[in-house]
Amino acid sequence: MSATTSTTPPNIYPDLYNFPPFFTRQPNTTTFAAQLHAWSTFILTYCRHHRLFTLELSTALDSDLFHNKALNRRLKPADAVEVLEAMRKDGLVEWVDGATRSTVLVYWRKPAEWAEVLYRWVESVGQKGSVLTLWELVNGEMTEGEEFHGMHPMVLQSVLAVMVKRGQAQTIGTEIDEMGVKFF
Amino acid sequence: MQKGVGLGALTRNTKASQIYASHGERIQKAHLEELATQLNVFQAVLQEFARRHAKDIRSNPTFRAEFAQMCSAIGVDPLTSSSSKKGSFWAEMLGTSMNDFYFELAVRVVELCRATREGNGGLIAVAEVRDRIMKKDERTGGSSNISEDDILRAVESLKPLGSGFSVIAIGRRQMIRSVPKELNTDQSTVLEVIQVLGFVTPSMLRANLTWDRARVQTALEDLLSDSLVWVDDQADENEYWSPTFISQGLQP
Repeated sequence: MSATTSTTPPNIYPDLYNFPPFFTRQPNTTTFAAQLHAWSTFILTYCRHHRLFTLELSTALDSDLFHNKALNRRLKPADAVEVLEAMRKDGLVEWVDGATRSTVLVYWRKPAEWAEVLYRWVESVGQKGSVLTLWELVNGEMTEGEEFHGMHPMVLQSVLAVMVKRGQAQTIGTEIDEMGVKFF
Repeated sequence: MQKGVGLGALTRNTKASQIYASHGERIQKAHLEELATQLNVFQAVLQEFARRHAKDIRSNPTFRAEFAQMCSAIGVDPLTSSSSKKGSFWAEMLGTSMNDFYFELAVRVVELCRATREGNGGLIAVAEVRDRIMKKDERTGGSSNISEDDILRAVESLKPLGSGFSVIAIGRRQMIRSVPKELNTDQSTVLEVIQVLGFVTPSMLRANLTWDRARVQTALEDLLSDSLVWVDDQADENEYWSPTFISQGLQP
């Protein structure tokens, strides 16, 4: 939705996106390393642009992320998993469901960076000392238009964990739906 | 007519040839001196020209290329002359800016070749190097005006360092080879064919080069293992693409 607000959308597709072999897993190790790196960068750019905090593999495989309809080329499911697995090792994504591998959380900002973004917001709106529910924080009206608006609860938890460690926040409650947070 | 039949003719002949020789030398010497004077005059004119147009030489690539050509025509190498002896022609004319320009450019070419080597096997079109460097400058707010000729000169300036960078022609394109490994004839031939469409298939190669199946396969596998081509296995027949075409906005 937020993608429609910008007047001239930046070109988020790399040159490689229009290069048919980009969608074939390269047999040569060196070339594959370059290919992996390019995919990783592209996935992060794509998710940041569309503000996607999660990527569901089956949906993504049919979206223009992994499927270039103009070229009639697509990344095979196994190859996509290999790319995401490589990104997981770099701490850029995380499987929501370790064994089935159907969805990943995408960290186009690392939790530590998110913690800073969040804390800057807390300071700017004077929410220090007040208690907010997690739902309110990422889905409420007051954070509309903020970069972290719509953040996936699991990403939010990693972010809050960082802030707790830094002594910037304290979480209240255990059930994710009812959890609250207090900022210092 | 009869002449010089007696013994005296022998000495006469020797004498004559001595005269001729010394005369020849004199002419040659005069000629050389004249040439040297001309060259000096020309260099002086060139210096004056360089002094007056220093700014254009630095900022205008076409001008720079033509000026460099003019220099090399009279045996002045813009890149080596100012480093070989101090206070030389170029250093006096343009400060060190001309040198710095090419050496800085050379550094950027090296960086770019290194950064893209994984994806292109160390073979990149001169035109692509130029475009990428200029695009990067645009992104960082600066504007640079660099020609392909500048890139070639920059690569040339790396030679004394034994850098292993060379410029080779593949078909009509000039490419920078940043890996010292040489291409074998079959590899070069296939790369040349690839320049036509951006890719080849084994059957295209068999039909156009009348190679047998094994030779085609070997050449393609060699190119794959040197990272010089990428394979696309989603067409009817495997297509082997040159990464040179990545940045060219292919038409589907």
